[in-house]
Amino acid sequence: MSPWEALALLLLLATGVLVVTLRNAIHAALALILNFLVLAGVYVGLDARFLGFIQVIVYAGAIVVLFLFVIMLLYAAQGEVGFDPLVRSKPLAALLALGVALALFSGLWGLNLAFAKDLQGGLPQALGPLLYGDWLFVLLAVGFLLMAATVVAVALVQPTRPLDALRPEERKEEKEVVR
Amino acid sequence: MSYLFTSALLFALGVYGVLTRRTAILVFLSIELMLNAANLSLVGFARAHGLEGQVAALMVIAIAAAEVAVGLGLIVAIFRHRESTAVDDLSELRG
Amino acid sequence: MLLLTILLPLLGFALLGLFGKRLKEPLPGVLASALVLASFLLGVGLLAQGGARFQAEWLPGIPFSLLLDNLSGFMLMIVTGVGFLIHVYAIGYMHGDPGNSRFFAYFNLFIAMMLTLVLADSYPVMFIGWEGVGLASFLLIGFWYKNAQYADSARKAFIVNRIGDLGFMLGMAILWALYGTLSITELKDALEGPLKNPSLLALAGLLLFLGAVGKSAQVPLMVWLPDAMAGPTPVSALIHAATMVTAGVYLVARSSFLYANLPDVSYAIAVIGLLTAAYGALSAFGQNDIKKIVAYSTISQLGYMFLAAGVGAYWVALFHVFTHAFFKALLFLASGSVIHALGGEQDVRKMGGLWKHLPYTRWHGLIGALALGGLPLLSGFWSKDAILTATLAYPFGGLGFYLGALLVAVLTAMYAMRWFVLVFLGEERGHHHPHEAPAVMLWPNHLLALGSLLAGYLALPHPLPNVLEPFLKPALAEVEAHHLSLGTEWGLIALSGAVALLGLWLGYTFFQRKAFPAWYLTFEAWSRESFYADRVYNALLVNPLKALAEALLFGDMGLLGGYAGLGGLVRSLGQGVARLQAGYLRVYALLFVLGVLLVLGVMRW
Repeated sequence: MSPWEALALLLLLATGVLVVTLRNAIHAALALILNFLVLAGVYVGLDARFLGFIQVIVYAGAIVVLFLFVIMLLYAAQGEVGFDPLVRSKPLAALLALGVALALFSGLWGLNLAFAKDLQGGLPQALGPLLYGDWLFVLLAVGFLLMAATVVAVALVQPTRPLDALRPEERKEEKEVVR
Repeated sequence: MSYLFTSALLFALGVYGVLTRRTAILVFLSIELMLNAANLSLVGFARAHGLEGQVAALMVIAIAAAEVAVGLGLIVAIFRHRESTAVDDLSELRG
Repeated sequence: MLLLTILLPLLGFALLGLFGKRLKEPLPGVLASALVLASFLLGVGLLAQGGARFQAEWLPGIPFSLLLDNLSGFMLMIVTGVGFLIHVYAIGYMHGDPGNSRFFAYFNLFIAMMLTLVLADSYPVMFIGWEGVGLASFLLIGFWYKNAQYADSARKAFIVNRIGDLGFMLGMAILWALYGTLSITELKDALEGPLKNPSLLALAGLLLFLGAVGKSAQVPLMVWLPDAMAGPTPVSALIHAATMVTAGVYLVARSSFLYANLPDVSYAIAVIGLLTAAYGALSAFGQNDIKKIVAYSTISQLGYMFLAAGVGAYWVALFHVFTHAFFKALLFLASGSVIHALGGEQDVRKMGGLWKHLPYTRWHGLIGALALGGLPLLSGFWSKDAILTATLAYPFGGLGFYLGALLVAVLTAMYAMRWFVLVFLGEERGHHHPHEAPAVMLWPNHLLALGSLLAGYLALPHPLPNVLEPFLKPALAEVEAHHLSLGTEWGLIALSGAVALLGLWLGYTFFQRKAFPAWYLTFEAWSRESFYADRVYNALLVNPLKALAEALLFGDMGLLGGYAGLGGLVRSLGQGVARLQAGYLRVYALLFVLGVLLVLGVMRW
């Protein structure tokens, strides 16, 4: 393992820890961007250059920025809100996460892989024939899914929905019933 | 191999985040972390098995984009309705 | 090209479903009608070129295959031809309904699915259409879904049909297991030689017929059809009279190569057909809803068709499908015009005396009722007579079937006249100001009336010209039958004509009476409740199931209560675990991860 690799992996883990522990949601999202940027570098190092660029452009550039946008829109930067009804769940969660890690490790342990495939640098020229060949239907399905998701997202945030049309006092009543 | 183990650790970190985070947005961020951990392992495996792994990772990114669109839409819709993004407030399913 | 006949109405469904709301009336109706007409013309054109085939890769071993031969072409003409007329009628009938475009979208979906059913050359493809028309029927019965009772009717139709569909699926499975193909053409060839496993094949035939029983509302699955009248009247005319309910008959005729080899199953079909014919006719007497009378008559006529198919006269069954499509659609649409004229009134007790108010509809009603009753020289007479002749030629107890069918013919003529007399004659019992329907509703009726008058002349009895039989014969199987001499045949025709006249006269005079004898009133009370079929089903099936469901619910509640009690117990032990019952998302997530880990652990060790 070269020192660069070791550094990259350490950075990945460190930013990952930050994402799940930072109290300010904006900071967590920024840590996530950092994580994704490092990840993009790792991708390039792993002969997946196209994927690396996509990672920067789509993930770090678009998706996480969308997150930041929503966090700011909803004034939801504060991660620890109200009182925690499940105070003692953190150790349990840590235990379970450890269990997950162990389960994955046990799957990887003893795996003998020959990392010698020629990936042609993972450039679009290499990915294109696959995308439009064997994976064409998957590609189309994903495209359809994206379209559907767009429609759903628009429908979800329609400003005039029947619930909002109720008068405020009715809404309050309904809330009480629901709780 | 080190990439694959790192990916497993990142995935576990994501699980921890999903289980402990208390606002929907942060839970979502943790899920993104898990998705990327899976992507990392896909790219890692691609070195041993060929380009399909990278193509699959590409699909994961696209699906993640769709998921984010719907998820954030849901969060905004829920926020409009009850002025909160805390997941513990969504406890109507109590038995 | 063949696929296009299906795609055109499907396109209409998509367009109207997506953009229908933007279209101003009557554009949705015009668009839908035009597409059905295009489909009709295309189908006829292809048929004139000698049929067509379409095949595409689909499931492994099961291609998506369509076939336009004389049989499917014949049905295609009925579906799209009569369908077009009813579409046009619906433009007037559904005028001003807020769901106007939705209605036509469903209507086009129905036509597309019905064409899939009819053109299919393999059972799975037919099943797509079979389920598709079921869906369209469900959507259209529950078209005014804000009325809870209508929505219930839609569900009832769907659920009862599901029983039959199960039979269809099991039948397909057996055929697949026996022959390894579900293509109708290939099965036909496979059945040429000696049968492989006759008893299992008979079971397959019986199960397929169960599907037909469900779709065509035969005894014992007939209960959904009268309730299906909750839909708008054009729906009743198109789906629940002229086309969809005859799909069962079509299925039997399509599979005639199978049933011709299964005399026992065919006998059962004939018995069920006769039973249904009698049941429908008897139940029609007590109904007071103008549409339900016609609905029960549909059940009865469908029984006739199955009787014909059962005795092996497949082309006669289709002949009756053809004439029935005209006069039953006419009866329904005339009923629709009457309902329209009275502003939504459907109770015949509040009608009467409409003869002088509806100068055109009265003739439509009269022609429809007379054709249904089998007045000599009208279409219903010829097809019904062909069925009667075919039953007598049946080698296994043909005379019994003949007499039963003849009796039902008398009853049919009587209740047809009852419908006419109650609606159009006598004194006015309602307080309405009837007005005749607009031209867009009258013209389809004119054409249907013409069809009801003339459709029978396609297949006149021997030795007069018969166009239909040679046309359909190549697609159907032959079944051995007695040969009737010319004299017998014409004697029978005279007899059935006389019987029909007698029935019509009896009905005409009897139902103009002011008071009825006591025996009739008893009978009518039974008939009104359709001989308590619904109640029997409720007592035997629905209520036990409901009781079971309630018992399960009770058990569930007890269980939940138990959990809640447990939660209280645990709360005293520790706050943390009590949160399990708090409905917190994170708790579920925790448990989920725990479960995943457990499963992974179990899988590894």
